[in-house]
Amino acid sequence: MAAALALLQINAQRTGSVSPIATVTSSIFGFAQTAASATIGGARSLATTVVSLPGVESENGRLRARNRRLIEENARLHELAAAYAAETDVRPVVNLYHGVEARVIGFPPENESRAVTIDKGTRSGVRRDDGVIAADGVVGRVVAVTPFSSTVLLATDYTSRIPAVVQRGRWWGIARGNLGSVIVEYIPQDAPLRVGDVVVTGEGRSFRSGVPIGTVTAIERGDATLYQTAVLKTSVDLGALDRVVVVSK
Amino acid sequence: MSSFRSKPHVAPFVGPAWYVAAAWLAAALLAQSTVVHYIAIRGVVPSLVLVAVIWYAIRVDARRAVLYGLTAGLCEDALSAHSGAAWTIATSLSAVLASALSRGFFADSIPLVIVITVVTTLVRALLYWVVAALGGYPPGLGLMHLHEAVLASALNAVGMVVVMLLGRRVERVR
Repeated sequence: MAAALALLQINAQRTGSVSPIATVTSSIFGFAQTAASATIGGARSLATTVVSLPGVESENGRLRARNRRLIEENARLHELAAAYAAETDVRPVVNLYHGVEARVIGFPPENESRAVTIDKGTRSGVRRDDGVIAADGVVGRVVAVTPFSSTVLLATDYTSRIPAVVQRGRWWGIARGNLGSVIVEYIPQDAPLRVGDVVVTGEGRSFRSGVPIGTVTAIERGDATLYQTAVLKTSVDLGALDRVVVVSK
Repeated sequence: MSSFRSKPHVAPFVGPAWYVAAAWLAAALLAQSTVVHYIAIRGVVPSLVLVAVIWYAIRVDARRAVLYGLTAGLCEDALSAHSGAAWTIATSLSAVLASALSRGFFADSIPLVIVITVVTTLVRALLYWVVAALGGYPPGLGLMHLHEAVLASALNAVGMVVVMLLGRRVERVR
């Protein structure tokens, strides 16, 4: 038996093939080796973990702190970028109209009127009835001034009235605040208004002509009326005001 | 044997000290004119100022209530665009109303305070718009103002409940 097995091995060696004995043995041991290697590997990892746990913990703490710092820095940079963008947005308007740049700092307590408080007052040259604009167009007009702050009545307030011109045909009207939007009243019935027409300010008490107020989104024509009314989407997002420019006439 | 029994001594409810009330009012005004705007629902904001006024008015007599309401209203008018004295008048009278409504009841009963808050908010809005109309505010938005007032009264009631629950918790911690 031993001789036979030995002969099988010798034959396999000479022919360069794998003997059946080697095949069976390797197969059986293969599984065992796999299991043993996995166990040993796990044990080594565990040992390594146990040994390096304090180091890992402190490294984890360092990384967390660094992550927190980076998040804070990221937020700060985002804020700076937003502030820079807001400032550069209104810079051309300041230069164009020689206006006073201001920031929105407050709102009417009860929101009963559409108005904002800005951080510039008489000390900065702001006067009552000055026009207030943003990078994209009309914001409103100054209705109350104190030395260090002013109240601006937004174009959407129900009591706001601004002389308006439909840019395409020079048709005049009065832009009145309608709380959420602005409507232009008293446009002649024969004016062929179209949705998308741009409405700008006419020469008036607070504004020079040509400052965008908004774009026509709807037109109301009555059969028995002398005038038609246009509903505008304001050029400026009046719900997200940050920096504005006060312009004197 | 005398059956006389002395009346149990019930300490009259004393409102908060004036400086505490003033601090609350200042905080409410500051929040109202800066932060609350961002949580407007359909253009309506809860009035922390009115919540503070009612909170104080239901704990004190009418004289103190009207003084507090007057101060709050004056500040609101000062911070508003062109409300004239509408908030001053409306808030002062609302404070008197809240003080009168709470007389004879527990100032710490949440259902009662909710009712007082709702009624006071509606009356205050009515007074405000009446005064504003007398001052030249253009007519034509009555229904919208009514809807706003109803929503505001609900928001204020929620605000008042939150304030009272927080107050109770603080008391318990003490």
